[in-house]
Amino acid sequence: MLLVVLVGTPAAAEDGDAVDPAGFSGRCLTCHSMPYLGVVDTPLGPRDLHIDPEVYESSVHGLLPCNSCHAGFSHNPHQMVPNAEFFAETAGEACKNCHDDQFEMYKQSYHGELTREGVAEGVASPLCVDCHGTHGIAYVDTLEYRQTIADVCGACHGGREDTFLDTYHGKSLSLGREASATCVDCHGDHSILPVSNPLSTLSKANILPTCQECHPDAGEGFTTFLVHIEPTSTKAPLVVFLVAMAYLALIVAVFSFGGVHTLLYIYRGFKDKLYFNKGGGH
Amino acid sequence: MAHGTDAKDGVNLVYHRFSAFHRFNHVLVMVSFFGLVLTGVPLKFKDSIWAQLLMDLMGGVAAAGFLHRVMAVVNILYFILEFSYMAWYVVARKGPIFHEDSIVPGKKDWADMKGMFRWFFGKGQKPKLSRFAYWEKFDFWALFAGTFLIGGSGLMMWFPEATTRILPGVSLNVALVIHSNEAFLATGVIFIFVHFFSAHGRPESFPADEVIFSGYLPVEHYISDRPQEYENRLKAGTLHEVIRPAPSARRRRLFRWVTATATVFAFLAASYTVLLVLWPVLF
Repeated sequence: MLLVVLVGTPAAAEDGDAVDPAGFSGRCLTCHSMPYLGVVDTPLGPRDLHIDPEVYESSVHGLLPCNSCHAGFSHNPHQMVPNAEFFAETAGEACKNCHDDQFEMYKQSYHGELTREGVAEGVASPLCVDCHGTHGIAYVDTLEYRQTIADVCGACHGGREDTFLDTYHGKSLSLGREASATCVDCHGDHSILPVSNPLSTLSKANILPTCQECHPDAGEGFTTFLVHIEPTSTKAPLVVFLVAMAYLALIVAVFSFGGVHTLLYIYRGFKDKLYFNKGGGH
Repeated sequence: MAHGTDAKDGVNLVYHRFSAFHRFNHVLVMVSFFGLVLTGVPLKFKDSIWAQLLMDLMGGVAAAGFLHRVMAVVNILYFILEFSYMAWYVVARKGPIFHEDSIVPGKKDWADMKGMFRWFFGKGQKPKLSRFAYWEKFDFWALFAGTFLIGGSGLMMWFPEATTRILPGVSLNVALVIHSNEAFLATGVIFIFVHFFSAHGRPESFPADEVIFSGYLPVEHYISDRPQEYENRLKAGTLHEVIRPAPSARRRRLFRWVTATATVFAFLAASYTVLLVLWPVLF
């Protein structure tokens, strides 16, 4: 990444691209790269003002000057973000400048709808940065990023990531199988909608084609596999719950009986000096 | 000592317990079981630091998954072999079915179990075991049923599209619960709670019972460990069927090496399992 920065910067600068020609970022980082800058209380809660230049430079946006996202920044005095509404608009607008298509999809999505309503009602609602991160923004098709997606979604959709991580998709992705599906591969990403919405990738009409993206031979039955169930919970389908409970009972019974039998056998073996006794043994 | 000094004092005799077929099948079970545990258990304990390490050592999830399927085929092979043998045994009347010396559980097993507990507590003699002790019958039938369940559920998840053409999607949820729990149960039974101890670790066989590799054991050992089968055979006049001349010294050495190697792997497998399960509890 550093190489790209070194090689990329002069060439891009010559082309007159949006690459920090005035060394804007450098001026910001003069102060903001200092770890002692620390966390400051803002109306939105604590904000860490320290930026690790290495993290930023190796992010997707590493070549962009700070003010390409922090638009409308005034140097002196520092403009503070006054409220949620302003932050939502600014954060969205900043991304929209370059990612217009994605932003339009986001606006049509449930997350986008929440943001519009949430702003009015003061409800927490996901902005671009809540899923993508900020200064360390990642390449989305890397294994490392894909492995964080379940936790990112789980931050709001609590518990759903645990049930996902217990499926083969979740387990194999956690251990490094990049091709394994995660949340966004089934639920969609920028244009995400609740499953109950007919336009959702998982609605009755759309679920089969969604599964077929990875499983071309899948049929209707395939779509009724349940990702988000906890087998040992009574909320699971009865057959799954009963099988899980039966196994629990069987495992406890067999291990207890086997364990006790073994320990007693060993006890008798030592008591009667049967171990290492060639008389009966071999 | 046990099987004496070659043929100096006449012909040495051994008791022939397992045919080449059964010993071969045991090797298939061993190899596939070790392979399946090694490649499968990291998925179950994905949060253990061992899981990632092992997956990386095996060349990643995809490579481990491929190995898992190869071993699954070996698993299916021994299941078919054993099932065919049993069918042939029954159809061709190769031996007794409901008998003290058959693999089918009977009244004597219940009596033997009570007898063993009395013996454990010093309240009686050790029961006279017949050809298969009750824990051996448990081992056999548990593996037989377990292989069917874990193999069946594994195949369902190997071919999820085909499975859900016949069954509803929730069948894959059931398959995952069966596969995961049966794997845990089988690993515990084989490596910790039953098989390794009862077949190899009990005082009569410790540290390893060569018989599953060599097929034979010294006659004196046979008489002391399986007195009921010995008596039954004496009465029925069938002792000659299982008594053979001792194999050559070279062959005996070979079996000793094979047993020693398998024992090392068994201890590694048992420690690996204990570590994998206990690590998250301890640290």
